[in-house]
Order: sequence, then C-alpha cells, then structure tokens
Amino acid sequence: MLEHGVLIVGSGLAGMRAALEVSEDPDLDVALLTKVHPLRSHSGAAQGGIAASLNNSNDEDSWELHMYDTVKGADFLADQNAAEILAREAPENIFELEHWGCAFSRLENGLIAQRRFGGHTQPRAVYAADRTGHALLTVLFEQLFRRGVKVYSEWYALDLVLRDNVCQGVVVYDILTGQIDAIAAKAVLFATGGYGRAFQTTTNAAASTGDGIVMAYRAGIPLEDMEFVQFHPTGLQGSGILLSEAARGEGAHILNAEGRRFMEDYAPERMELAPRDIVARAEQTEIDEGRGVTDKKDSVFMDFSPIGEERIRYALPSVLHLARDFAGIDPLQAPVPIQPTAHYSMGGIPCDVDGMVRLKDQNDTPIVGFYAAGECSCVSVHGANRLGTNSLLEAVVFGRRAGRAIRTAVRDLAPTRIEEGDLQRAVAEVDRLLKGDGPERAGAIRQELREVMMIDCGVFRTRPQLENCLSTLKNLQERYQRIAIDDKGWQFNTDLVEAIELGHMLEYAEVIITGALAREESRGGHFRKDFPTRDDQRWHKHTLAYRTDDGPRLAYADVNMQPQYRDPFPLEERKY
Amino acid sequence: MPKQDFVIERYDPVTERSYEQQFTAEYEPGQTVLDCLNSIKWTQDGTLSFRWSCRHAICGSCAMKVNGRSMLACKTQVTDIVDRGDPIRVAPMGNQKVVKDLVVDISNFLDAFERAETWLQELPDQDPPSREYRTDKEEFDRWSHTATCIHCGACYSDCTVVAADPKFLGPAALAKAYRFVFDSRDSKKHERLEFLSEKHGIWDCTRCFMCIEACPKDVLPMDAIMELRTEAMREGITNNHGSRHSNAFRGGVRKRGRLDEATLPILSAGVRLGAIPELIGYTPGALRLLKSRKLIMAAKRHGANREGRRQVRRIFDEVEAEKARSAVDAEAFAAERSSALMAH
Ligand SMILES: Cc1cc2nc3c(=O)[nH]c(=O)nc-3n(C[C@H](O)[C@H](O)[C@H](O)COP(=O)(O)OP(=O)(O)OC[C@H]3O[C@@H](n4cnc5c(N)ncnc54)[C@H](O)[C@@H]3O)c2cc1C
Ligand code: SF4
Ligand code: SF4
Ligand code: FES
Repeated sequence: MLEHGVLIVGSGLAGMRAALEVSEDPDLDVALLTKVHPLRSHSGAAQGGIAASLNNSNDEDSWELHMYDTVKGADFLADQNAAEILAREAPENIFELEHWGCAFSRLENGLIAQRRFGGHTQPRAVYAADRTGHALLTVLFEQLFRRGVKVYSEWYALDLVLRDNVCQGVVVYDILTGQIDAIAAKAVLFATGGYGRAFQTTTNAAASTGDGIVMAYRAGIPLEDMEFVQFHPTGLQGSGILLSEAARGEGAHILNAEGRRFMEDYAPERMELAPRDIVARAEQTEIDEGRGVTDKKDSVFMDFSPIGEERIRYALPSVLHLARDFAGIDPLQAPVPIQPTAHYSMGGIPCDVDGMVRLKDQNDTPIVGFYAAGECSCVSVHGANRLGTNSLLEAVVFGRRAGRAIRTAVRDLAPTRIEEGDLQRAVAEVDRLLKGDGPERAGAIRQELREVMMIDCGVFRTRPQLENCLSTLKNLQERYQRIAIDDKGWQFNTDLVEAIELGHMLEYAEVIITGALAREESRGGHFRKDFPTRDDQRWHKHTLAYRTDDGPRLAYADVNMQPQYRDPFPLEERKY
Repeated sequence: MPKQDFVIERYDPVTERSYEQQFTAEYEPGQTVLDCLNSIKWTQDGTLSFRWSCRHAICGSCAMKVNGRSMLACKTQVTDIVDRGDPIRVAPMGNQKVVKDLVVDISNFLDAFERAETWLQELPDQDPPSREYRTDKEEFDRWSHTATCIHCGACYSDCTVVAADPKFLGPAALAKAYRFVFDSRDSKKHERLEFLSEKHGIWDCTRCFMCIEACPKDVLPMDAIMELRTEAMREGITNNHGSRHSNAFRGGVRKRGRLDEATLPILSAGVRLGAIPELIGYTPGALRLLKSRKLIMAAKRHGANREGRRQVRRIFDEVEAEKARSAVDAEAFAAERSSALMAH
C-alpha cells in the first residue's frame, strides 16, 4: 500500500497546474499519477489558443465581455458564478505561465500576441503558433520537473475509494509491471480529461475515455450534463483529426456531392463562417440526405482552391501538413473530405468553483477530500457548448484554484485508510478480463459502440434514434461480459488497458444517451430534431445522472445565476 | 483495399526473447503505419504492444523504427514507404532498452533534460513584472523553433553518439538547452554553457545529421548544438577538451589556408535560398572541397525539404553575421560549419 498526502490523477493542464499549486507548500506530500506520460497528455493537442482579456491587440476587452461571450456561447446553461471567475482570473493565469517561460507568440512590441476566435467578440485568444496546448503542457512539465514532484507515469487509476462521502484514496495499476495496488490520500483530485472516444469520428486522443468520470459514477457520484458533446465541423474524414478553424476563416468552400456550396441553404449570409454547430448540422443534413462525397458518402468536401496557392502556403501551413500527413491528400491538388467530429465533452463530475466535488443535491453535499478539474469536471463554465480557447483556460484557472483549496483543506483532514476489500472490485474486474475466454473481441464491440453513438447520438438526435442507440448499447454491454483478450501477461498489457477503457466507454455512453433522451429541447451541443428549439421553461437546468443497477437515474439542478461582481446576464436567444 | 506485409520486431519480456513476426494488414489510401498497427492489434493479435495517443504527431508517443529509420508511426503514410511489395519493417527505437515489442524505456532520454535543467531559471531576488516580460520578436524567432520539440525521442534513437556513450545528453535535451541559453528571461546562460561544454555535452556531437533527419518537427537539434558551441566560445568557455580541439582545428585550417578557401565562397555567394547550386557551380580552387560528394549529399538532403532549406539559409546567415561581428569568431564558426558539412 502506498500513501501520499495529496494524489492528483491525470497530468494534462488541469492536473499539472493543480500539482504545482499544492507543491507550493513544501510540507505537503503530493504525487501525480497518469496513464500516459505527462508530456503525452491530450492537452498538448490543442491548437488555437487560450482566452484572456489582456487587451494586447485592442483596448476594448474586459473580463465582463469575456464572461458574457462565455455565457452566451454556453446557451445560458453555464453557472454564472463560475463563468465570472473564469473570465476574471484569466489574465493573471496567463502572466504566471509566461513568467514560467511559456513560448507564447509575440507582437512586434514584445507583448503576448492575441487573435480572434469563434464566438469571442474580441481578439482575446493568446496562442503559441498553432500549438498552444503543447507550449502550455511543456512549460507546466518543466516546472513540475524543477520542483521534483513525484510522478507515477504510466500508472492507471482503476477505482475511487469513498467511505460515507469521504475520499480515502485510489486503486491503481502499474502498467509496466501489472501490479495492482492502492494509494491512500487525504485529498484526491481527478483531472482525467474528456470522453470523446465513444464516438466514431473524434478529435480526441486515445486516452480520452472518460475513466475518471466513470470511477466517480461507480462510487455513487452523479454525472452532470453528460448529453452535451461538442461536434466540430472540420474533422478529416475517417480519423476525425481536427483541421483548424482557420481553414474556414481563410475562405475555403464546403461543397456537397453536387459541387454546391450548400451553406447557402442554411446560413446564406455567413455561409461557411457560421458558428461551428450550425455548420456541423448543415454538413450532417447533406450527408444524411445522400449528398455526401467519397465512396462512403459520409463526408463533404472542403475546397481550398478559392484561397489560392500562395495564400494557403502562407496562412494555412498546418492544414497543408495535416491533410498530407494524416489523410494523404494535398489540398493544393484536391478537395479534402471532412466530417463533423466529436471534439469536446461539456459534462462531467459536478464540482464547485474550488474544485470540490459536490452532489448538487438539496444540501449541495460535498465529498470530503475529493476534487475535480479540467475537462472531466463540470463546474460548469461551458454549459451546453464551450467556446474555443475557453477549455485550456478552464483547466489552468480551475486546476490552480483546486490546488489552492486542497492546500488549505488538507491540513484539517483526517488520515484515510484503504482496506483489502476496497481493492476487490478492481482486482475482480482485471482478473475477469485476463481469464475471460468468451467469443467476443473488445475491438469489435468498441467499433460498434463508436458507430452507433456517432449515428444515433451524434450531431442530430431523435427519440427513435436514441432508443435504438440505448438498446444497441445494452446489447454491447452484455457482450462485453463475454470478451476474451489475447494478452494474458502482466507486463505492459495494453490489450488489458484498452479493454478496461472500453468498459468505461460502455458505462458513460449510457449516461449520455439517457440524458439526451430525457432532454426534450435543443440547446448548444445537444440537438433534438423532434424538439428543435430551446425550452427555458422546462430545461434551463443541469442534468444529474446517478448510477443504479437499472441504468442511470436522472435528477436536475438549477443553473447558478449569481455572479459575485456584477448582475447576472439574463437569458436571451443565442444568435450570431 | 490494398494489402501490405509488415515484419515486426517483437520482444517478450517474460521469456526475454526477441523475434520477428510477419503480419498482413489492409489499408486505405491515406492511412498511416499506426493505423495498420492498430488494425493488426484489434483484429489479429492483441498482444502486439506499442504506444500511441494523439494520432497527429503532437503527443510524441509513437516513435519507432520504420524500415530502419526512427519516425512517428502516426505521421508515416503507408503509401509513402511501400517499396515494390517489400514488407515494411517495424522495430522499436534504438539506444533505449526495449520493454516489450515496440515499447522502450524512455527514462534515460528524459533524464538528460533533468540533467541539463531545461526549465526557466528566473533572475534571482526579483519579482516578476505584474504583466508579461517583453520578448523581442527577433529573439523569439531565434529559439521558438526549438520549442516545438514533442519529446518523441526519434533523434535520440538514431544519434550515433548516444549509441557509443549513453551519458551523452543527446540532441533533444541539447536543443532544449539552447532555447534557455537564448531566452532573455533566463538568468543562467553562462552556467548553462559551462555545463553543456563538459563531457557528454555539446562538444561530443559528431555532426552526423541523424537527428535533423529523424526529427518530425522543426527542431534542427544539430544546428542548435553548433550554435551553442559558438556561443560557449564567445563566452570564453574554452577550458575543455572540445573547444581546445576546435581551436587547434581552426589554427590548422588557417595554416593550410583551407579555411578561407572553404568559407569564402559561402560568404560571397550570399544568403539566398538557391545558393547551394550556385556554390556547386563554382569550380576552381577550394571549391572542389565543396563539390565533394559528401557535401553534395548533404546539400541535397538539405534541399529536400523546407526545414532543410531553412537550415542551410541559416548557416549562411550565421556565417555572415558572425563575420561582421568578429573576424576570429567567424573563422571558428565557419570552420565548425564547413567541417560539419564536409563530414558528410
Ligand atoms: C484537437 C484539439 C484541439 C483543441 N484545441 C483547443 C484550443 O485551441 N483551445 C482550448 O481552450 N481547448 C482546446 N481543446 C480542448 C482542450 O485541449 C482540453 O479540453 C483540455 O486540454 C483538457 O485538459 P485536461 O487537463 O482536463 O485533460 P487532458 O489533457 O485530457 O489530460 C487527461 C489526463 O488524465 C490522465 N488519465 C486519464 N484517465 C486516467 C486513468 N484512468 N488513470 C490515470 N491517468 C488517467 C491522462 O493520462 C492525462 O494525463 C482542443 C481539443 C482537441 C482535441
Ligand atoms: S548530429 Fe550530433 S546530436 Fe545529432 S545525431 Fe549526430 S551526433 Fe547526435
Ligand atoms: S528534437 Fe525532434 S526528434 Fe528529437 S525529441 Fe524533439 S521532436 Fe523528437
Ligand atoms: S500518436 Fe501522438 S505522436 Fe504519434
């Protein structure tokens, strides 16, 4: 049995930022545990930027405008106290990262450069060329290295141990040796990232399998707003790898099989430059109505020829590279097939603005010693739809706040204990997977899951589709009980890890579907064709899904409308 | 769908046995080596082990040897490397202990960054400004390409010196150190250069170009190492084996009159992109040196891609700038440079 004062699970921006904050107190024993090396975390894939009203490229921005854009982008489902903190604390967080050496792009005058980004009314995206996430991840890792924080790299968290709403620690699995152990800790923070991997086409890395979310769910914590998943309109066909927003910005056309710029039917004024969700839905409609391109008719074309070769080379080098390296297509020669791609997970583990996990029930019951931050959490700053560049910011701002809260709280927390029985569930699950000799293969089940989620619980949803999705899922869950994996060994068993992850995907997919089925309205990332408008009367509230043996039980919670430093923004139509 | 054979070098940690195994994978045009490995794993043999995560060349997980050279499996199109129906050979990275199949132990590679303390060391006893430090754009452009390193280890895997001396800091850690040497926010420039000038540091590199070839990003590690050498000499850090050797070399070159011959055309041909073909067009005198097959190969290699051309141009820029600043330095620099080119 291992023991640490504080254990952070997940080493993306949120986890590392929190770990650094806790390590400010030299008396605290903090460790970071992650299933991929910290530098491999998904945060590194973020391209576009991180929002903050620095006013380096203009002088009209303010935290209030940033907050307003965030709340509106969220289709008014964001908690306004949280959105306020996100916007207010953004600048100081950016300066701190800069002081640590982050390689942000610069203006001629030497200040940090800023640019425009979808949904933000001001040029407030701070960036490092087209690799902002990578620059941030690197600088946090450097600081972590410098302070000698203990890192369990390539260790997998299997289970969260709670007793009477008090966190005791985590059951873990050392991928290298295959050893299962437990780490007792007075405070545990989950920063395990999003859950996009349940969808066939996704920008998400292999690691984004919602592990932390499912561990919390299985431990009795409800999951919040899981039905809200953001689809990005420009994923490469097949892989779903993200083509930058800049492609549309520079004037690429999007064409259907007839070679027509179909956006004229959906957003005649803004055409390709309409907001992400509108373009994604237009694409999906064309595909669903048989006007898709390629043999599979599952995508539409992005045509770069109107931009001109010189400009493409100058303004879109990363797009050129991405299309060539990952789809084998040269955009200078041929149009690139694109599809809507699952991009960001708005839902997650409910927590307050200091990262403390709360049930959001009548008493707002806290789980003592258990915290969450980043994409796996639901504070909620993004509500029904997050704005680009706000999620890196969320990871940093709320990672830091959670770290601070832990630093003070942990002094008063009693030592925790883990008993033999606490390892039981995890040990039994691993044992079952290693010994299983049934006819089913994890790869096939995963494939079917991702396909049905994409088709029936994707960009468009209807009751019959969601019901079909749910029954397919139930069947897949059953088949999962009869799988056999090939690798029966202990050392570096990625076959086993992938099978465990599949179990998580099958669990949270059910929560997404159930929440989507119940929510009879369209808001942000959730679009019901049979209920195509927003219904504030019935649905201006957060979904909370509790695990029961018969599937998720839904409850609802109010949206926070009480920012501290200004009046709340009243509900209005989300129109651009 | 087209089919492709793969021969994969495997290692079983339990029996400690290495062996080769052949698989056949179907692939669609546009798919990568990583896609094929995953399809093998998911449909044929789940025991096949390798690391991957992002699928688009940013997380640095999937470096391995493909047909003998280190590269990212996710960034390698199958159609780009198929050769007359030969199987594609996949093996773990070199210079690191194999853990299982294509998974290697990267701790030695990562330790080098820790040894070189590649993190910003602020000015002591000085509170940071309430806003950002201003960073001159010129300075930023000087080092920002080295900040694109994704720590994939491909360069380390192919480095000829790491193979002989596992303690050598290696191309990636040195390139990262370069960044802090030239970052004005850092307070330890001199100490860094002193450390880097010790054994296992910048003077141990044999300028074999392998790291530049292997790197999937814009880092150009060898270039950075050469610039660190010049900077160390400029800072007067000469009491070490490497720089003494370099000084002697400079003297020798001067006596033989070769240095001027070798560098003059570079200086006079200017800094344009197309300068290499022009240089090669000069026939008389010392230019025969430059016409040596090795140089042409290096030049060709460099001409092959954008990074390469930029690298060549930067050599020329540097030589010119150096010359302008100090004749002696420029000679040393050019000697380093031209011998780097000629080493090939
Ligand atoms: C292609 C792409 C581009 C994006 N661009 C932007 C952008 O420009 N701006 C923006 O603001 N946002 C962007 N985002 C979103 C943003 O990158 C993420 O929301 C954010 O990085 C999430 O950070 P995180 O720290 O919460 O989680 P992650 O970075 O996903 O880290 C999760 C961590 O948890 C660990 N982990 C997970 N499960 C386990 C387990 N069971 N045991 C142990 N460890 C575990 C993983 O190893 C990893 O270290 C983008 C996303 C994508 C996919
Ligand atoms: S050039 Fe130097 S650092 Fe690069 S691979 Fe060769 S010996 Fe190693
Ligand atoms: S320098 Fe290039 S090859 Fe080496 S680790 Fe960094 S990105 Fe990889
Ligand atoms: S999978 Fe991330 S670099 Fe290849």
